[in-house]
Amino acid sequence: MRIHHARSGDLDWINQLQHTTFHGYVHSVFDRTINVESIENGELYTLACQHLDNAPNTMLIDMDRFSELAITVNDMVYADQRIVHIGDQLSIAMDQVTTWECQLPFFPNDIESVIDHLALTKEIIEQRGKCGGMKPDLTRSSIFEQETSRLLSERSLMLQEALLQHRVSDALRHAAGLIGLGPGLTPSGDDFLVGLLSTFHMENSLGRIYLGFGEKIVDVARTLTNEISYTALKQASKGRVRESITRLLHSITCGKQEELILSLDKVLNIGSSSGTDIVYGIVCGLEINIKAGGTVCPQKLSLNKARISILCP
Amino acid sequence: MSTKVVIKQSTYFDSVSLMSLSTKANQIEGVEQAVIAMGTEMNKEVLRNVGLLTPELEGAKTSDLMIVVKAATDELCESAFLQIEELFKNKGAAKGTSDIKYPTIDSAAKSIPEANLAVISVNGAYAAREARKALDNDLHVMLFSDNVSIEDEIALKQYAHEKGLLVMGPDCGTAIIGNVALCFGNSVRRGNIGIVGASGTGSQEVSVRIHDFGGGITQLIGTGGRDLSEQVGGIMMLDGMKALDEDEATKVIVLISKPPAPSVEKKVLDQIKLCKKPVVVYFIGGTEESVVAAGGHFAKTSKEAALKAVVLAGADESTINKRALNIPLVEEIRAKLTPEQKYIRGLFCGGTLCDEAMYIAMDKFDNVYSNIQKNPDYKLKDLHVSKEHTFLDLGDDDFTNGKPHPMIDPSTRIARFLQEAKDPEVGVIVMDFILGFGSHEDPVGVMLPAIIEAKELAAKEGRHLEILGYVLGTDLDSPKIEDQVNKLMEAGVTIASSSTNVGLLSREFVVKGA
Repeated sequence: MRIHHARSGDLDWINQLQHTTFHGYVHSVFDRTINVESIENGELYTLACQHLDNAPNTMLIDMDRFSELAITVNDMVYADQRIVHIGDQLSIAMDQVTTWECQLPFFPNDIESVIDHLALTKEIIEQRGKCGGMKPDLTRSSIFEQETSRLLSERSLMLQEALLQHRVSDALRHAAGLIGLGPGLTPSGDDFLVGLLSTFHMENSLGRIYLGFGEKIVDVARTLTNEISYTALKQASKGRVRESITRLLHSITCGKQEELILSLDKVLNIGSSSGTDIVYGIVCGLEINIKAGGTVCPQKLSLNKARISILCP
Repeated sequence: MSTKVVIKQSTYFDSVSLMSLSTKANQIEGVEQAVIAMGTEMNKEVLRNVGLLTPELEGAKTSDLMIVVKAATDELCESAFLQIEELFKNKGAAKGTSDIKYPTIDSAAKSIPEANLAVISVNGAYAAREARKALDNDLHVMLFSDNVSIEDEIALKQYAHEKGLLVMGPDCGTAIIGNVALCFGNSVRRGNIGIVGASGTGSQEVSVRIHDFGGGITQLIGTGGRDLSEQVGGIMMLDGMKALDEDEATKVIVLISKPPAPSVEKKVLDQIKLCKKPVVVYFIGGTEESVVAAGGHFAKTSKEAALKAVVLAGADESTINKRALNIPLVEEIRAKLTPEQKYIRGLFCGGTLCDEAMYIAMDKFDNVYSNIQKNPDYKLKDLHVSKEHTFLDLGDDDFTNGKPHPMIDPSTRIARFLQEAKDPEVGVIVMDFILGFGSHEDPVGVMLPAIIEAKELAAKEGRHLEILGYVLGTDLDSPKIEDQVNKLMEAGVTIASSSTNVGLLSREFVVKGA
């Protein structure tokens, strides 16, 4: 049995662990994360290695890898308010844990710098974004990947148009066509929606009119994607996304260019193409926001028309 | 045409592994299409659209992993599946413990009493403890793990020194012991030259050049990059030198390192004075006087180090093909480049290869930037954007944090290469391709589509894109060096014959007004 310490964790989960009982079992094991399914509420929670970022339902542990432990799926997990026990392999003490809470930034009234930052974001995606999901690989992909990219592109554009025209039922249909679509553990369409939904939850955002849309997406997602990706979508629909995404949103809306480059790199490095897919969703959501805001500030929009063209995968 | 499917129930692989498996599966010979994806309705729709959906796949659940292979015949399908299963096993093995035959070093040492060396590649947090156990069992240690504290390194090396054992590492990637390459190493001829190296690809390069010049290796002892620091004091460099000095088979000793701390350099030079055998010293960017004063043989480049060692070991210099620079080629390339194409962009997997090329470029240019530049004024501020002459060590922590080394996963370099190829100010892009144990099975093959794409793009824009490639390997390595070189040449890549020539050629290609 090894004893390690929790470094930081999602406020809600830490509160739950420290003040109530927690029982569950290991759902899935990766090199740097272990997912645990709660018996009490059926939700997935994540134990992650220390160099990953904070995230909803997640606790970071002072470890670099889990692969050397013999933790296996269905191992029992329980917490006794001070320590989380994972089978007979690992105990995690919470005496030094700090709490983290997802806080999305305000959407600013002055959108000039947001427009500039979005233009830079798109340039960087073009240069460094990873292909294989929302960003098609034009030269080296298989027929399956080409078709996936075609559907991702087509459906994300239709979703965007439907949202801009407030056709919510159409938007929901197009969003459902994205859920579970794409390679990877978290399919590209899901990642795109996580990015998109995160922008709707920013205070002062015109996208907040779509909060109900996010909840409906989660309703349909249950059977359309795997539990790990579903959990991320569900959390995003509540405005809860991982720390690197909140930092990116901060940088785009109110940060400096250097901060934007750094925070964008962090997100682009998530998974294989997941980070890129998330950024596509964020760009889509913010551009919807700006276009919707155009009715309030038409002059600014027309001046920057060329720079806010929708990012087409 | 035959299609075979397998559904792995409730199976999760992380996205990076899934994408990597999918790419490799599509590269298996005879496979027309291979798909590895989660069993969601939308992915099934895609399979339906491309004619790969079978009734069996219709039943896959969102938590299931679908594997579909389409090939010309049933036999090819079956064969491809066996290879895919092997890929899955390898992925699993990397994450699990199923391949570990002995659960502890103690039990391994008891079970294999003739063993005298342990290779340790566990998490850095536990590496020192395991290394100590190995030393307790009178085993030499090769410590591949990084993130070992300097205090632990010193303690381990002092303990090993007292016991007459070696601790190669931590963060030691290359050694050849008893003609067996450990971790990353090349197949080289057995001979009479011993190497002690504090830099992995630098040691590989010198061993390969020695082989190319007709010489051979007795032992290649790695020390880990921090060994020649002030704190560690060069304990293993000194012990390695002594071991080789006492080794009957070794006639010449070669030392390879970045310049040591001054106090350590003095110890090494003192040791050279005591050595009974000639010592060739290649301290990258180092100076000649002190080495010569100590009775050593100074080498300014890796090629020079190898050549001097081979000659000192008894070879007739006049019979050696020294791979001189192809001067007409330099003129030819210069003529193809426009006045705007004035910069070198080096995209290296090997840190020392990057270092050597960079130092050679710095002989002629001031504006040489890098992620591994010593001079802070020329250290790249934004690693993703090159500036003037830029040399990137893509194997450095800057680029590998949370990702495999580019010698294993080339995706970072492919993306950066395509980025550099679009820059009209780029005169030459330089890349190394490292063969041997532990490296990618086809390092050239994975870059070729990008090279072809970049060449076509440049041609459309009416400019010549010069790509200079260097394949580090020997005729004994797998894959065959000849095949790798031929593939590059067929794609229009100019070939350098050594790490030194990489630096010299790239520099000369872009010198203006020469």
